[in-house]
Amino acid sequence: MLEVSRLTTRYGAISALRDADLHVGSGEVVGLIGPNGAGKTTLLGSIAGLLSPAAGSVTFEGADITGRSPEKLLRLGVALVPEHRRIFGDLTVEENLKIGGITQSRDERAELLHDMGERFPVLREKRTVAAGYLSGGESQQLAIARALMSKPRLLMMDEPSLGLAPVLVDVVFELIETLRSQGRTLLVVEQNATRMLEVADRAYVLRSGEVVAEGTGADLRARPDLFDTFVGGNGQ
Amino acid sequence: MTELLQNLIDGLGRGSIYALLALGVAVIFGVMHLLNFAHGELITVSGYVAFWTINEGWSWYLVTPVIIGTAIVTSLVIERVAFSRVRGSSDFTLLLTSFGVHFVVSAIFLLYVSASVKTFSEPGWVADTFPVGSLNVEVYDAVVIGVTLVTLLGTSWLVQRTMFGLALRAAAADFDTARLMGVRSDTVIRGAFALSGLLAGIAGVFWLMRSGHTTPTVGITPMLKGVLAALIGGLGSLRGAVLGGFVLGLAEVLLRSRLPDSVASLTEGFVFLMIALLFIFRPQGLIRVAHAERV
Amino acid sequence: MAENTGRSTAHAGMFPNLRRDVAFPIVGVGVLFGVFVAFGLLYQSYFGGAGERLVTTSMINAIIVLGIQIYVGNTGVLSFGHIGFGAIAGYTFAIFAIAPAEKVKRIPDAPLGLTDVDMGSWGAVGVAIAVTVVVAFFVGIGLARSGAESGAVAATVITLALLFVTHEVARHWPELTGGERAGLSFRIGGKLDTRVPIYLALAGSLVLARLFAQSRRGRLAKAGREDDLAARAMGVNPMVQQMIALLTSVAVVSVGASLKVYETGSLLPEDFFFFFTLLTLTMLIVGGRNSVTGALFGVAVITVGRELARRLGQDGFEVFGLGLDSAPLDWIFRENLQTVFLGVAMLGFMIWRPKGILSDWEFDEWLYRAFTRTQSAPPVPQATMGADQDARLEVSDVSVVFGGFQALSQSGFEVRSGEVVGVIGPNGAGKTTMLNVITGLVPATSGQVKLNGVDLIGTPSHEVARAGLVRTFQNLRLFGSLTVRENVEVTRLVAIAEHDDRSTPETDVLVAAAGLWDHRDRRASELDYGNSRRLELARAAAARPLFLLLDEPTSGMSDTESLAMVEQVQTMAALVGAGVVVIDHDLDFIIGICDRIYCLDRGSVIATGNPEEIQADPAVQAAYLGSSAS
Repeated sequence: MLEVSRLTTRYGAISALRDADLHVGSGEVVGLIGPNGAGKTTLLGSIAGLLSPAAGSVTFEGADITGRSPEKLLRLGVALVPEHRRIFGDLTVEENLKIGGITQSRDERAELLHDMGERFPVLREKRTVAAGYLSGGESQQLAIARALMSKPRLLMMDEPSLGLAPVLVDVVFELIETLRSQGRTLLVVEQNATRMLEVADRAYVLRSGEVVAEGTGADLRARPDLFDTFVGGNGQ
Repeated sequence: MTELLQNLIDGLGRGSIYALLALGVAVIFGVMHLLNFAHGELITVSGYVAFWTINEGWSWYLVTPVIIGTAIVTSLVIERVAFSRVRGSSDFTLLLTSFGVHFVVSAIFLLYVSASVKTFSEPGWVADTFPVGSLNVEVYDAVVIGVTLVTLLGTSWLVQRTMFGLALRAAAADFDTARLMGVRSDTVIRGAFALSGLLAGIAGVFWLMRSGHTTPTVGITPMLKGVLAALIGGLGSLRGAVLGGFVLGLAEVLLRSRLPDSVASLTEGFVFLMIALLFIFRPQGLIRVAHAERV
Repeated sequence: MAENTGRSTAHAGMFPNLRRDVAFPIVGVGVLFGVFVAFGLLYQSYFGGAGERLVTTSMINAIIVLGIQIYVGNTGVLSFGHIGFGAIAGYTFAIFAIAPAEKVKRIPDAPLGLTDVDMGSWGAVGVAIAVTVVVAFFVGIGLARSGAESGAVAATVITLALLFVTHEVARHWPELTGGERAGLSFRIGGKLDTRVPIYLALAGSLVLARLFAQSRRGRLAKAGREDDLAARAMGVNPMVQQMIALLTSVAVVSVGASLKVYETGSLLPEDFFFFFTLLTLTMLIVGGRNSVTGALFGVAVITVGRELARRLGQDGFEVFGLGLDSAPLDWIFRENLQTVFLGVAMLGFMIWRPKGILSDWEFDEWLYRAFTRTQSAPPVPQATMGADQDARLEVSDVSVVFGGFQALSQSGFEVRSGEVVGVIGPNGAGKTTMLNVITGLVPATSGQVKLNGVDLIGTPSHEVARAGLVRTFQNLRLFGSLTVRENVEVTRLVAIAEHDDRSTPETDVLVAAAGLWDHRDRRASELDYGNSRRLELARAAAARPLFLLLDEPTSGMSDTESLAMVEQVQTMAALVGAGVVVIDHDLDFIIGICDRIYCLDRGSVIATGNPEEIQADPAVQAAYLGSSAS
């Protein structure tokens, strides 16, 4: 479904991502794990069109989408839940959801809004509240629901459990589990590697801008060097 | 008391026009972070359209929609020719680009039309008044206040209730995230320029009705009032811009009528002094817009 | 290498390096002045009388443009108001310089008995400067306040409003200004009839503009221009620098404006309004606003371009000896073509080359680099400065809540001189928030940050830096268009002024110690990631802090680079005698460098200890891998 090949992205003279290869099959849940500064967010941003890659290509369902603008990509079915959620704090919960469904027809949008209300009761409860007043867990739910409003075929999430209390981290992973059971295709950046590997079909490990490992949760868990990779070790 | 009420009505009339101009400035500032010093050019162009059509014998009722249409089209053309090329540039570049647009437009009229003042007749009812109690209300003021009220309600509906308005607000809050949600940047920015043109067109009709003339630099004063009002209100806030417009209008009228005759002509100077004081004590303007910066 | 000897505080005054910052600029400016004047004399000898007038005007314009450059170039704030200041100076000059006999005809009822004042021209210039500078001081307070909140945009509007208001006052106060139509005028023959003062003023403003840019003040202002937040974190208060730049710049503009009035012999409100603003700004922008050479070059380019456009409008293509006498061309290229030329030039440059032709290139800097290219790196001393220091930073019980989200709760740590303390933790644990609280960028909900017993909570960022806590930034906030050397030098200048009792290593020593000697004259924005990080470190160390606070110094580095960074941090800290607090997620790096480590998770300290203890701590492993065991 998604095919990333030899993708390189630079900030000025700095290569934040080098020659990254990655693929996501339809219905798969794929994790992207690795320490801070490894290039995970850069990789998602380059796929979603927020950053322009310097080299390499991104193919989605057979079409080359390298360097397309995010608004075009969304219409092709690629959605991203950005890091730090990036909720529109001055807009109400319902308005945030409506923005997510801007590409849908009015009727469909109403239907999706209803669906999201069913799935995330807390959002229905607070639909007229300015989103800035939501708690961390609520706003993460809103961010995901907002992305689902566009009926994406590929949903990417950047650090969905970032800065959440443990009980809310559970909520996020349950949500990923649910989406997975619905057969959705997910590409998730996560620092919480253990939890991620539990829900993912496969995962890629990034470090210093490069993909250094790939495999199923079991494969990667069996690697003794994983802890070190995470906290920056190189097998000292 | 009567005098104060009279001032209040005059101030609201003047403030209405400023509010429309400021709102147009604020809408564009919101989506592009561009403070549009070329906003007055929409009135300059409208002024020449008024001059040509009215001297052809058209009536103001016919000229009004033509002026509004002209302002919208001009706003879109300016966006296409100049501002679309500097999207995302630094404040410095954006400010000077709009300043450059101002000069190119006024120089074109200077060069290819004339440097001299072109006059046209105002509608007959502009100077008429009608009594309300002990007050003498100008028909013009009543019309301006009424139309502005309707326009502001309409704009508020557009911004609060429509998908376009939602996209506009989302883009103003966080452009990148709005694009991630599928908001088309071209649509939003052009929409903002069209809206800004519409508001300037309506303000322009009133401005020209009263002044009855145009010159290549006629846009400077309305531009400055609009920009200042938007700044007084708090840059980026639509509500602030409207508030700023009314505050500026009222302040001017009240000052002019209260100052001794010998210095009344220096009202502008006193208004500036007040704005400077406002900034020293409340640098963010009347309504604060939050700007987050990640470290 | 005369300028590199160890006299670290010898030229701690106005100029960091007398040869580079005074001698070369004066020579360079002399050359520029010579070329500009020679070009002018050549032009007027070719074109005669009309050419002479054009050359005189362009020289006066150059003075005013240079004056504007001092403010706009060094602070990065766009000002439309300098011509407004010019108007104030111009009127003040005229009122004080015109003979009472002449004033009686124009402004017999001027307030304060100004009609009878007879100062003579040179006294009047002095009064003009004084009055304008006083006005600028008050406008400057407003500018500083507004800039603090909404960036340069609000400041620009204020300057525009100033222009507009001086114009309104000039038009509507005829008792003082002669009003809109009559204006003020010198009696016949009373105007300036020699070019000597113009030459002097031009040379003077060139020297002043160039020296200001090289001076301590100019350098601090430029740091603020490049990155306001980083400048504050290094101890620079950009508001003060902007004010000084404004006053200097306005003084030069006042001289130019007085000469303009004196040379023209008359003054109308229109002379100092929008058109003149456009003309001077276009000159500045087209040449390159961040460079004195650029500003002067812009004056020449625009003067010639405008003259060409004028003649093209007048005579069509005959200007080029082409006999294209077709009606449509005549219709397009008509009289007053030069007014469109200016607008189009400004618009075109903004769209295609917003930094101008020369950007920030300076002739004398180029010359200086050519002369010092082969300079070798100074030795890096191993000796520690101030090893005797005993400073202590205690951060205790700090809590921060952002809109319901607890970023930090009751967290803290301690560090003493000579120690290296690490703060680790996964993403979102609150590490950077902790640094932001300490450096005054984020207000704490509760808690204390005590440096040698003094609580710093609530102290503005630049004062925290001056007190001795200087940080680096995770996402790199270098002064991008300044060179490597200049980046280091700026903070060093702050340190010298602040701690003149302690010696601070030379800029070149710090640059060499950071391993950046070969890149010393490159712009910071051109460095790669590793070098940028090393420069961040050297720049912070140059402030000679009691404690260096490093925010993810190895983020984005390769393993080898990270290990090299251990040594780098140790060298730098030893060089300036600072304790170190380092935030990082790279455990190898942290273990390699730290004496003690604090591990944060979700805003709280979950473990403290030496590297071995931290490595073995199950809570730390759980926090990093996110196992639900915790």
